[in-house]
Parts: sequence; structure tokens; C-alpha cells
Amino acid sequence: MVAPLPDITLASPHPPPLPSLVNARRLRTQRLGRALRLWVPAGVLILLLAICFLLPLVVTLPSSTKGDIIVNNEPPFSPGHILGTDVQGVDIFSKLVYGGQVAFEVGISVTLIGIAIGGTLGVIAAYFGGWVDAVISRLFDILIAFPALVLALVIAEGLGPSEMHVIWALSVFGIPAVGRVARGATLTIRGLPFMTAARLAGTRRWRVITRHVVPNIMPNIVTFSLLGLGIIIILEGALDFLGWGIPPPKPSWGNMIANGQQILSVQPEYVLIPSIALLITVASLNMLGDALRERWGTQ
Amino acid sequence: MALVQQTQLQQAEPGARDRARRVAGSPALRMVGRRLLAAIPVLIGVSLLTFTVMSALPNTTAQAILGLNASPAAVAALNHTLGLDQPFWQRYWHWLVNVLHGNLGTSVQGQNVNHELALHVPTTLGLLLYALVASVVLAIIVATLAARKPNGIADRISLAVSMLGLSIAPYAFAFLLIIVFAVKLGWFPVLSGAVTGPASFFKNLTLPAASIGFGLFAIYTRILRADMVEQMQREDYIVTAKAKGVAPWRVLIKHALRNSMFTLITIIGLNLGGLVGAAAIIETIFQVQGIGNDLLTGINNHDVPLVEGITLFFALITVLGSLLADIAYAVLDPRIRYGSSTS
Amino acid sequence: MTDALLQVDDLRVTFAVGGRQVRAVDGVSFTVSPGATLAIIGESGSGKTVSCRAVMGLLPTGTAVGGSARLRGTELIGLSDAELRRHRGSDMAMVFQDPARSLNPTMRIGLQITEAITTHRKVSKREAQTQAIELLRLVRMPAAERRFHEYPHQLSGGMRQRVMIAIALACRPKVLFADEATTALDVTTQAQIMELLLDLQQELDMALIMISHDLGLAASYADEVIVMYAGKIVEQAPAAGLFGAGGAVRMRYTRALLDAIPHLERSAHTQLPVVSGRPPDPTALPPGCSFAPRCQYAEDDCLAKMPALTEHVPGHRWACWHPCENGGAA
Repeated sequence: MVAPLPDITLASPHPPPLPSLVNARRLRTQRLGRALRLWVPAGVLILLLAICFLLPLVVTLPSSTKGDIIVNNEPPFSPGHILGTDVQGVDIFSKLVYGGQVAFEVGISVTLIGIAIGGTLGVIAAYFGGWVDAVISRLFDILIAFPALVLALVIAEGLGPSEMHVIWALSVFGIPAVGRVARGATLTIRGLPFMTAARLAGTRRWRVITRHVVPNIMPNIVTFSLLGLGIIIILEGALDFLGWGIPPPKPSWGNMIANGQQILSVQPEYVLIPSIALLITVASLNMLGDALRERWGTQ
Repeated sequence: MALVQQTQLQQAEPGARDRARRVAGSPALRMVGRRLLAAIPVLIGVSLLTFTVMSALPNTTAQAILGLNASPAAVAALNHTLGLDQPFWQRYWHWLVNVLHGNLGTSVQGQNVNHELALHVPTTLGLLLYALVASVVLAIIVATLAARKPNGIADRISLAVSMLGLSIAPYAFAFLLIIVFAVKLGWFPVLSGAVTGPASFFKNLTLPAASIGFGLFAIYTRILRADMVEQMQREDYIVTAKAKGVAPWRVLIKHALRNSMFTLITIIGLNLGGLVGAAAIIETIFQVQGIGNDLLTGINNHDVPLVEGITLFFALITVLGSLLADIAYAVLDPRIRYGSSTS
Repeated sequence: MTDALLQVDDLRVTFAVGGRQVRAVDGVSFTVSPGATLAIIGESGSGKTVSCRAVMGLLPTGTAVGGSARLRGTELIGLSDAELRRHRGSDMAMVFQDPARSLNPTMRIGLQITEAITTHRKVSKREAQTQAIELLRLVRMPAAERRFHEYPHQLSGGMRQRVMIAIALACRPKVLFADEATTALDVTTQAQIMELLLDLQQELDMALIMISHDLGLAASYADEVIVMYAGKIVEQAPAAGLFGAGGAVRMRYTRALLDAIPHLERSAHTQLPVVSGRPPDPTALPPGCSFAPRCQYAEDDCLAKMPALTEHVPGHRWACWHPCENGGAA
């Protein structure tokens, strides 16, 4: 919920090591470490996506919206309910899976919209400069100044809570966030000699942008988007928690936490389980973003 | 007036003229001025955006005031009195004029929005400041310890903890804190009570501040640590300091940390927007009597004036925060303050 | 012979780069007397900077340093960092190449100078300030009191280098390393700074070790010259023995360096005889003489066996199987 920093992206904790001072054994350990840091979070994310999207297709899960009061409050590992059931007898694992679907759907949609619209605007602003840049930058400033959560709440309140509304509302925040990164990266690229060379060779502006600018800023955009994806998922969870996100009885991690709030002191697992799901998801996204930044050496 | 000043300056002694020129033409002042000017369109834009969003919603203020049983005619009449049926730009203009006069309107409950804000703003500001100060101080300490030996034990721990802070949702963390510190250990109350003095301040606001601050701490630590390690490894002035025979801790703190503070200030300024959103949720969870809580209540009650007022206030804080960070940077960075060579 | 101030014997520095060992400095020995001026000349990668940083203890941790370097009898190699710090900045000091980057941009220069003082001496802030201003006057900084409070970006390149020198001289070191100290400056300033360094050297009875790639600098200012290539010394002699009338450059590399300096007396439109090729990759040094692949006069024995640095003529050492005769005619 603290916003990612569009202009100053979080520095990777593993900048490329200076080209000296590692003996052969340390080098091997370093390489192994780097590979692990990339593939472990990537693997976890793939696993999560598989569980949320593929598993329901393969295995019939108990209903995530309707439950049997008789079997309510079952603990984890009860027959038929791996993670138990909630107060109303709804299977927790199912809620987790379908809630995860929502989280990823919203997150990925907002990120893609952000890249498509924000990225384009950012590149245009940086490439053309002048008043175009001034206008677009001010627009970004205004959108970012607006507290994302508040905007989302207000939209949800006015138009009614729904997944689409959540996506629109969070896009208002996602667009300038990606936009600023795209703009910054393009500005950096623009000054490089090969850009001047391309222009001097008479390359059309459009080709310069697609052939030269975009491929070079993609690493920045991708690593930033992974971080942003995590933030969006947390924000979406916040909306659900407040009741203005995905309307119940559709499950979401946020409203699972909200429901568990009442019995926090006696049965904390109702809050802990979705919280841990959130944590694992966002942590994997962050770690993957870090690892990619390390590998691609972006700033 | 400029002409008068000029002639006066010409008659003054060279030293004074020099000084006056330096102050008026000081790069720092000019930069601050430019930033302020740039902030104005943003503020206007934000106010417009706020108002537009609010207007796009079905305005049920009149309905809410009169209650559900009111007749459509009465609602329409009240709408007219409140000026809610006027065209958009007229309403915006009236609202803007009111806002600039400091009048944020009357809430559905019949209270003056200003009054509401004034009551609860200090609590929210106190909470935010608590979270901010604590996270900055801790971040500086931890980042310095980590940067002293990159990839050492302190460093690895700090990286793990900050990854956790970045990845955990503040609301989830809040519940974790409640389970551990309020329920199991009983050190803090689950729900925040009124803040009447220093003791109640810390007792009631520590858990909420920690919920907000953990994420901040994570970001600040990572950035500071990366910045300091970068300096220690790649900057020439660090080698000079070592060549002087300065001890490693002193080099780290007096040279690297000093320069990293600039980055830190910028980050703090940029982050204020997200801070505000987090505050709203945390206040609700802990029932802190701040404007974040009011905002959410207002939304639930369809209290448009109140929500408008608070949203504008939050947006203002964000813009001002950014501005302050810029100004602080301009004032503190000697390269900006003193401009280029004066030889 | 007077007691050597700095005696370096068989200095070896090894880095581990990408898993492989690199001998950056391979058996360097030299002696510096008090008040003398030594020039260490070489291309980048020759090991000249690394040797001096090894003596100062400024190499990154994890570098293996072997051999001996004795400063007034105290062995420096193998000392802990804490012990070495006592000498660094007080007995021996260094001036670096790029004063723009070597000074902390957010710290007033006065503070950077007093830091050099207070690190080694217990003096009050007021006293340190007085000493620092004295130092600024010593390095001929105009308006010393005003400059004391200024920031590096407010000074010109030459003035910044004077500040660096002031910092280095803060505790009256006996040895001053000047690592390409004038390379980043324009020609006029270069001359000014060199004059300053020499005057200071005389005033303070300090030994000056100049590290440079500029043979001309060595010819103009040094008492003794060492030429390094690929981590080894290839020629070592008093300056008089090498340059000017009666001087005889022996090692082919040194000869090539000299020939590559443009002279006014050259006939116009003749090709400048630059040394072809590039310095060798330190991880893959050829057997035999390291310079042989680039040497016009290389023969089979040059490629097969490494020539040892030997004192063929008293005071003049070189490492070459087929050195120049008659001052380099053939």
C-alpha cells in the first residue's frame, strides 16, 4: 500500500559484483545463489497460478460460496476439507483458490492496462519532449497524487462493488506508475549514442520507437511491473477487506481476512491463512523482480 | 518596485550588491520557486479530479439528510437549496471558492466538515509522524549495520526482514501484531483509545504505527543500504577517506550515509501518497479516531461532502509532501544551494 | 647510502578474477631515499597503481599481497588494517587522479582537510581549522580562509587538486604518492601543480613517487625512473642515465615509449611510431618476455624465456635479451 516508487525504483540488493576478488569456489556458490533466487520464486509463482487456475479444472473442489452449517469451523486436515471450513461451513481451500483467481486476474489486468496505456504515454512523453512531455507528466503527477485506495473506494461506492470497477479504479494508479518508469527509462535511452545514430540514419520515428526504445526499456518495465503487481494485489485485498471490492459471497483473500477478524483472538487461523497466501504471492513477485533486476542489470 | 530596488543596489557597496544578488538569484530559491509553480497545476488538477469523481457518483446527499422516507419533492427541493442541481462547472466553481476560503461544507450529519477534520486530523498526523520517524530511524540504523559488511550476517538478516516488510500487506501485519502483542502478550490494547497525552499516545498508537511503518522501514532500508554499498564500492571519495586513515565506521557514516540521506529524503516525499491510503485502513482496524477512519465511515454513509473534504485533504498532503521533499533536497544539497564555481 | 625511507622487495599482488588468479604485480622491488623523486611509468594495467596502493593498503579486501614493503624500517605488508591506518595519511599519503570525484561533494573542503588532521592528531576543532587554512596557503590556494568553507563544486579543477594535496600533506608525510595527479588537468595547470609538488617536496623534505603514463613528465621532474610492463619492472635507472645527453635507454619498451612522443623536430607528415597492439591480458601472459608480441626487435629467445631484471651497468637495470645499443639507434 505504500506506493512503489516510479522514478527511483527499488535498488536490487544484489548489484552485479565488481569484477574481482572471487575465487573459483565462491564464484560457483554465487552463481548457484543467483539461479536459486530466480527460479525458486518463479517456481512458486507458477505453482500458485497452477493451483488457482488449473487445479479447479482438474479436480472438483467443494463450493467456495455455499457451505453446510453442519460442518462449520472444521479444523485443517478434516476429511474433504484440506484447510478446514469457515464459520458458515464453506471450504477454506476453495475460497483460497478462487480468491487467488480474483487476485491474479485483477493484478494482471491492471498491470497490463498500466503497461499498455501508461507505458505508451511515458514513452511518448520522453521521446517527444516539449509540451507533450509537460502535459503528460502533469497528468501523471495528478493521478499519482490521488490516494489510490480512496479513489477505488469512491468508485466502488458510487458504482457498486465489482471486479471490473476494481480494475478500473486501480488502473488509475497503475497507469501513472508504469508511465513514470517508462518515461524515465526512455529519457535515459534517448541520450545514448546509438539513438542518435539511428536518427541520423534516417530511421522513421515510429521504427526508432518500436525497434530501439521499446526493447531497451522492457527490462525496466518488467521488473517494475512485478513489484507493482504485488502492490496491486495488496490494494485489491484492502478493497475486499473493506467490503468495497469483490462483492460477497464471491470469495477473495481480503474478505476472508475481514470475516476472520471477529474471531481473531480465538481462532486466528481464519485471518492467518489468507494472510499467508497473500504474503507468499507478493514475496515471490518481489523476489522474482529482484532476481530479474540482478540478471538484467537494470537501474 | 524592481526599478527602485535596482537603483538602491547600485548605490550600495559592492559587497551588499554581491550578497543581494546571491540571495535573490540563489539557485536553491529559484528551484524552490519553480517547484511551487509546478505544483499549482497539480493541485488544481487534483481538486478537479476529486470533484469530478464525486460528482459522477449519484449524489444522495439530500436523500441521506432527509432520510429514506422523504418525498421526492422534498428531496428535489433540498437538492435545489444545496445547489446540487446546477451544472457541473458552476458547482465546481462554487466548491472551489468555498474550499479556498477554507469552507469545506457541511456533512450529512449536519456538522461542519472543517470542524470534523480539525478534531481528528491531529490524531492521524500524529500516527503518520510516529510511523515515519520510527521507520526512518530504524532504517538508518539497520542499513548502516548492513552496509558495513555486505553479504555479512547483519546484511542478510536486514535483506530478509525488508523483503518481509515489502511483501506483507499492512492490514495482515496489523492482525499479526494484534494476535501477538495485544491478545497473547497484552502489551497494547486491541482497539485504540483516546489519545490524551504521551503515555496514551504510545500505548494506543504503537501497534497502528508499526503496521504502517514496517512497510516503510523495508523500503527505506533497502534503498539506503544499496546506496551506501554502492558508494563504498565505487566512489573515489571513499578511497580518499580511507587514504587519510579514517576508520571504516567513520567512513561509512560520515561520508556514505551523509550522501545517502538525499536519496532517502526523495523517497520519503514520493511515498507519502501510499502512506495516506494505508493510514485509512489501519485506522479502521484499530479504531483510531483519525480522519482515515472518518473517510471510511463517510463512504459507508454516502456522506459526499465529508468524503470530498477528506479526499482533498489527503491529496493535498501527498502533493505537499512531494514538494517538501524537493525543497529539502534543494536546501540541503550544497551543489544546488551554492550553484557553480564562484572563482 | 642514506637509510632508505621506503624499501620495497619482491612485491606481489594477486587478484582472483572470475575464478582465476591474476598476478597484477609480479616481483617489484625499489628503494626510495628521503627527499628523492621516483617516477613509475607504465601503460594502464602495468601494475603501477596497484603496487602503490598495495603499499598504502588501499586494495580491496580479499587481495593477496606478498613480499615486503618497509617504511622507515616498519614492515607494512601483513599489518592489520587498524595498524596500517596509523601510517596511512600520516607517514605516507596519496594524491589521486580525478579531484572532481575524489572529494566528497557534500562536504566542505575545510572539513575534509581537518578530517585528515584529526584522524591522526588530537587537536581541538579550532586548532585543526587553523592548521587546515595554513595547509591551504601552503598549496598556494588563493583566498584560503574563504575557500575553507566552500564545497568542491565551487572550485576549479586545479584548485581541487590543491585541496587534495593539502589533505595529503596534513600530517607532513615522509612519502607522497602522486597517482596520475596531473592527468585530469589541463596543461597549464599541470605544470603549476607539478611545480607546487616539487617545491613542497623540498620544503618538507618529502619523497615523491610519481605514477604516470607520461614519460615526458618523468624526464622533466624525476631523479629515478622505473618503467613497468605487465606487472614487472622492465627498466630502472636514474633519470640522467636514461634521458638527455649521455642517456641511454636500453629496454625496447622504454625506447618505443620515447619514440612515440611527438617532437617539434620531426619532419612533417611522417608516421608517428606508436607502439602497436595492446597490453597483454594479465590472465594469459605469454611465456617469455611479456612485451615480445609487440616488439619489433623480438627474436626467438625473447618469446621463449623471460629476461630477468639485471643490473648490467651500475645503477641501471633492464630486462631485455636484445636491448638497444648506442642510446637506441638500432
